[in-house]
Amino acid sequence: MAQFEDQRTTVYKIDPEHPESETLPTLRTEELLLNMGPQHPSTHGVLKVILELEGERLVKSTPVMGFLHRGVEKLAEEGTYHQFIPHTDRLDYVCAMYNNFAYCRAVEKLMNITVPDRAEYLRTIVAEIQRIIGHQFWLGTQALDIGAMTVFFYCFRDREILLDWFDELCGARLTTSWYRIGGVERDFTPSLFAKLKQFLDYFPPKIDEYVIFLEKNRIWLARTKGVAVISAEDALSFGLSGPTLRGSGVDFDLRKYEPYSAYPKCEFSVPVGKNGDTYDRYWIRVQELYESVKIIRQCLEQIQDGPIMADVPSVTLPPKERVFTNLESMIQQFKLFSQGFNAPPGEIYCGTEAHKGELGFYIVSTGGGKPYRLKIRAPSFIHMGAFDHMSKGYMISDAVTIFGTYDIVMGECDR
Amino acid sequence: MSVGTLTKKVLQAALFYEIWDAMKVTFKHMFHRPITFQYPREQRTIPDGHRGALGLLRYGDGRDRCVGCDLCEAACPSRCIKVISQEDPERPLQRFASEFYIDITKCVFCGYCVEACPVNALAMTKMYEYSTHDKRTLLFDKKRLYEVGERHLEDAKKYLYTHNQEKNSDESREYRYYFPQSVLKPTQSQPKHLS
Amino acid sequence: MGLKPATNPDVEAATIELSIDGRTVSAKDGVSLYDVIASTGKIIPAMCYHYTFDPFGSCGMCLVMQEGKKAPVRSCTAKAAAGMVIRTEGDDLFAARKKAVEKHLSVHPLDCPVCDADGHCELQDMAFQHGVTNLANAKQKFIPEDTRSLVLDFNMNRCIACAECINVCKDVLMIDALQFMKKGGFNQVVAKGDQPLACEFCGDCLAVCPVGAITNKYSKYLYKPWQMKKTTTTCNYCGDGCQMHLETKDTEVVRVTSPLSWKNKWGDRSETAKGHGGLCVRGRFGFQYIDSQQRLRQPLVRTGDALKETPWLDAMQTVIDQLSDIHRKHGPESIAGLITARCTNEELYLFQKLMRGGLRTNQLDSSARYGHLNYVHAVRHAVGVGRPLNDWEDLTKAKAVLVIGSNITETNPLTAVRIKEAIRVYHAQVIVVDSSNTNIAQLASHPLLVKPGTEALLIDGLVKAVIEQDLVDESSTSQHPQAFAALKQAVAQVSLDEVSRATGVSLEQIREVAAIFAEAPRAVALCAEGIVRRPNGYENVLKLIDLAWVTGKLGQPGSGVTTVTEEVNEQGAIDMGVAPEFLPGQARFDDPGARERFGKAWEVTLPAIGTGANLLEIFTRIQKGQIKALYVIGENPLATLPASMDVRGALDKLQLLIVQDPFLTETGRMAHVVLPAATYAEKDGTFTNLEGKVLRVRQALDQVGESLPDWHIMTALANGLGYEWPYQSPQDVQNEIMKLLPGYYNLGQPRRIAPSPDAYLSNGYSSEVATRYRKRQAMDDSSRPFTLVMGQVLYHSGKMSTQASGLINIEPNNGRIRMNPADVEKLGLTEQSTVRLTSQQASVQAGVKADPDVQAGSCFVPEHFNEPPIKDLMTTEVDAVTGVPYFKSTRVKIEKVGP
Repeated sequence: MAQFEDQRTTVYKIDPEHPESETLPTLRTEELLLNMGPQHPSTHGVLKVILELEGERLVKSTPVMGFLHRGVEKLAEEGTYHQFIPHTDRLDYVCAMYNNFAYCRAVEKLMNITVPDRAEYLRTIVAEIQRIIGHQFWLGTQALDIGAMTVFFYCFRDREILLDWFDELCGARLTTSWYRIGGVERDFTPSLFAKLKQFLDYFPPKIDEYVIFLEKNRIWLARTKGVAVISAEDALSFGLSGPTLRGSGVDFDLRKYEPYSAYPKCEFSVPVGKNGDTYDRYWIRVQELYESVKIIRQCLEQIQDGPIMADVPSVTLPPKERVFTNLESMIQQFKLFSQGFNAPPGEIYCGTEAHKGELGFYIVSTGGGKPYRLKIRAPSFIHMGAFDHMSKGYMISDAVTIFGTYDIVMGECDR
Repeated sequence: MSVGTLTKKVLQAALFYEIWDAMKVTFKHMFHRPITFQYPREQRTIPDGHRGALGLLRYGDGRDRCVGCDLCEAACPSRCIKVISQEDPERPLQRFASEFYIDITKCVFCGYCVEACPVNALAMTKMYEYSTHDKRTLLFDKKRLYEVGERHLEDAKKYLYTHNQEKNSDESREYRYYFPQSVLKPTQSQPKHLS
Repeated sequence: MGLKPATNPDVEAATIELSIDGRTVSAKDGVSLYDVIASTGKIIPAMCYHYTFDPFGSCGMCLVMQEGKKAPVRSCTAKAAAGMVIRTEGDDLFAARKKAVEKHLSVHPLDCPVCDADGHCELQDMAFQHGVTNLANAKQKFIPEDTRSLVLDFNMNRCIACAECINVCKDVLMIDALQFMKKGGFNQVVAKGDQPLACEFCGDCLAVCPVGAITNKYSKYLYKPWQMKKTTTTCNYCGDGCQMHLETKDTEVVRVTSPLSWKNKWGDRSETAKGHGGLCVRGRFGFQYIDSQQRLRQPLVRTGDALKETPWLDAMQTVIDQLSDIHRKHGPESIAGLITARCTNEELYLFQKLMRGGLRTNQLDSSARYGHLNYVHAVRHAVGVGRPLNDWEDLTKAKAVLVIGSNITETNPLTAVRIKEAIRVYHAQVIVVDSSNTNIAQLASHPLLVKPGTEALLIDGLVKAVIEQDLVDESSTSQHPQAFAALKQAVAQVSLDEVSRATGVSLEQIREVAAIFAEAPRAVALCAEGIVRRPNGYENVLKLIDLAWVTGKLGQPGSGVTTVTEEVNEQGAIDMGVAPEFLPGQARFDDPGARERFGKAWEVTLPAIGTGANLLEIFTRIQKGQIKALYVIGENPLATLPASMDVRGALDKLQLLIVQDPFLTETGRMAHVVLPAATYAEKDGTFTNLEGKVLRVRQALDQVGESLPDWHIMTALANGLGYEWPYQSPQDVQNEIMKLLPGYYNLGQPRRIAPSPDAYLSNGYSSEVATRYRKRQAMDDSSRPFTLVMGQVLYHSGKMSTQASGLINIEPNNGRIRMNPADVEKLGLTEQSTVRLTSQQASVQAGVKADPDVQAGSCFVPEHFNEPPIKDLMTTEVDAVTGVPYFKSTRVKIEKVGP
């Protein structure tokens, strides 16, 4: 009977020089392939990673993406520019506002629209609230992944306040679609201002509370310090951005260095890490919570009365009461909704500093109401590219930490 | 480093001081009122602008507002609205929607249809509990949409006001779409809302 | 008409130079400045301009600045002159144009939500483009909607008075049914004389209306443009093969639009020679049959006396069992097939392949047999080309057009528009020879009203007159002196006086017309039903070819003898070989080379030569009991052929009658199996129109019910019979045709042809022509004084259009014959009277309608309806050469029976 060499089991080998050792088995080792995901609670969606293990060490990890692919970029080609805003809600579905913001900024750049001052302040305030929500969400889930459950509860408790605030602002907690090309959909009411101010007083002590659980916790420190280290050069060459890049000591923040909206009018600092490890990225995000509160406070002080929509009849919708009674407004309404505005031919890229990193929209227009091509530079996707590099040599249990450290959301990653 | 600090550090490490520190915070929360509530016995207060299920509205005298212009269909990013329009058999030369469907399973609740509607016939309501065992019942037809609109008329009015679709006054609610071609006499005075 | 099109080849105008936006442009003197600017590729907004007619200048949008003038000028009505310096852009011009839009908007109603044009509205576009906001002094007109017309509603609140509808109707279609009228303080478009619209209902006014002032009654309020799927396909009514857009919503056709619209107003004027892109009433308003409730949705199989709905599998099993049974028992000679020329080329090809390659029978025919084959045989015989010799461009650019025996504005309205274009732009002399006062005769320079049935005789007269007046083209006749001598001798029998007396056309007129035709540099003779569907049709076409030859018009570019077809793909049916005498590509069936080629391609031995049978022969053989199974696709012989043919008796004798049709026809009711076929809107394929262009047919809808495209059914049938056809789509069939007939599709362009009569004239012409001009028996029959003619009307095509509710709405079957008012009076009739028509064959009662266009002594009846059964009055005469049956005209006696 033929003997088949079975590679998967232990094989006994004979050493030709020492035939007497025939009786002694030698152990053959090889790498183990392990599929992690797509159904895994810590993969933040449906991500599958093929891990090559040598013992408990990661040798190579290959992310397999596309389980949440919905063809969002293709959908953009099917509808008008305006119609794409609700689709952007569903990119990074925990931080819809920032996606809206980034998209609207890109289209405004294409159409060369200047947004009124008040709208810029409102946008900045809401964007920073969204950043707080994003970091809270990240902190909660990262801690949960590593094993600290309490932080998760506290973060979500405070996040809930802000989501309800969103609900009051635009009618939805997650799929907001509040930004519009040329402004915002609705102004803040006095009640929203009051609630926001109340939150700003309430929130900073709560950040300290989160930190108590983690900063001195030796388990947290052991699991984050020196884990997933990436050097500044590598981080740059992998195209990382946001806290993931700043953790490696690169001081790069679009809000500061390519200022937009009301950011240039606000004083804030950009926290930068030193070691490029998970702990530094954690520290940056916590610091950014304080900075966001600072920015919102300044915006609330500086904000003036004024219009919330740019007045560009060929792009922005007319006020509804004029639609009822004026033909030209009615025509505007019908043209904008049925055919969209006429974008000039050309292509633009516009990056915006979302809490994950640089969220960019690249639009190619050949004229007409629909984009010819729309490409989304999603930070989650770019960050996944560095996963193999950053996970090499770490323990299998660190894989979860490393996913988390990017703040990855698969809706944005797979699009 | 002084001996005192060192001793303190060693003691803190040995006694798991940071755990006690954190436990203090957790312990304090035992005396807080719970922030969760017991749905469905307790209900969340929903803000006025909430984007819930869509409803169709009527004028005060019971006539349909919708004229079947299909603009909501054009505006819908998820293509969940279907309007079938035709000439009103009872009122010649007037357009109306003979059928109106919203596939609520496809709807993304963006509110664009309301924003698009040139006669404010659509509004969103605070209704969000319509889960069912039969998916087919989630294709809301004209009858169901008018039912929603009638039952949640107050919500709908608040929605329209909150989202700048109409002014919070009876006058603006009385706005009525006027069919210019249904005029019978060649020289008729301007309708009130136009002057 | 000072501003004639820049492309008119006969306009001698100096070339001038002017400067537009700093660029030097050369143009013809006196041309509209707008056209010159448009020719540089620059498009200035204009709402009242359309390239098909002359500038009107009412919208005030096309403003440009001319150096030396203070105010902007309207470029459409300004003439280009040498040395002009023109600026087309600038803030001042933008503001001026905006002001012009505002003027139109300020009186426009708030109609967008309910307007059918919304989303396809030039006023909307312009207002949006110019960013109009805050209109001052908006004041609406309040004009009641005019809904009196049958197919169009006029909502003058929305009108911007651009007059595009009036201009297209007057200039392009020369119908002139619309006018401006001051009513209620506004200039309104109304039908002539403020009456309900009574015109040809082509709907081109609807197509060019830039706003929603003219709306389509059949699709009113049913759609918005963004809801519909637009499929460009080919109309399947007449042989013009117009391109059209079927606009569909799910399973229904909402409307049909034409390439002609205000959207393509900047087309090149030279394009008008190839068609202006409009449609006729049938194409635009006759689409309802596609999703009609009457459509067959399931196969029907006869059980006892009734046809029962049966699943496809069972029905096909029945067909296959019975057909193979008959084939086995009685051989291939027991099976025959008929197909309609409304099928696509691919289906026609498959049909003849199924018959010849599969069932091995050459007993097959198509509806091209009813007349078009006469023409094809004649031109093939004479010049060796089997299709109309002229395309639309030839017609448009001709200097003389002889329209003989064709009511072309009714049968082929878009070909008629080409002739109208020739009259309007190229100042062609149009000679119309017909027995009734047709619409084209009213526009013609030389309308000749001949006595019924004498159209052909007039050709004799024309040939004679040409030779007599020595208008002969020496260069063509000198090449064949023998042939010319033979012709001269043959024509010697003809006496012009007699011709003049018989036709009722004066001698001078015959001579004048002959001279016009002979002397024109480009002349086209167009013959149709009055020639090819009347006795001796084949010979008459040959006579026309004689006329063209002696006047030097044969083989000369832009001249020739041409025809029009009734059904869209008659030419394709002949090209695909659906006739016992032809193989695909019009190869003769008895040509050994072609037989070998096709036999090899289909891997069969073709049926023996001499076994073939055409339409009438098939019925004879059925009567004799030789043919036991008949496969009918889309044809309806029972309702088409007169009772004297005893089609019913023949069909009764059949063991198996398979009818494949979208509707349950009279023939279908007699069938053993009825298979539901899909219409052209539900399948892909190609049609070959009368120019020889191969045009795409594209699927716009899913098939209704369980109906299937004909090619699909035929492939299934062939596979069921064991022939193993691999076709998955019409594309596969197309690939096979492309291999067998290289160059047939030819990118949709008609193949260039060079007709050459040399072989015909040098071989046996003399003997042939000798009897051609013999005197024919005078048809005068005093006991039956009236000539009854059956023919097509504008609003219908064949029997199929009677299923289109839109067309029935315009022209229902009123069961009346049309007579000259003088005859009506003479017989003491009124519109309510009933008369009895008695012919040699039968007697039928019908109503009467006075129609001044019908000549005294004749009466006309639309052939589309069988109620009353006028067709049964007819006798059938068969052409000896081509086998074409003639049954469209007969002599009748008319008596009053009712009030």
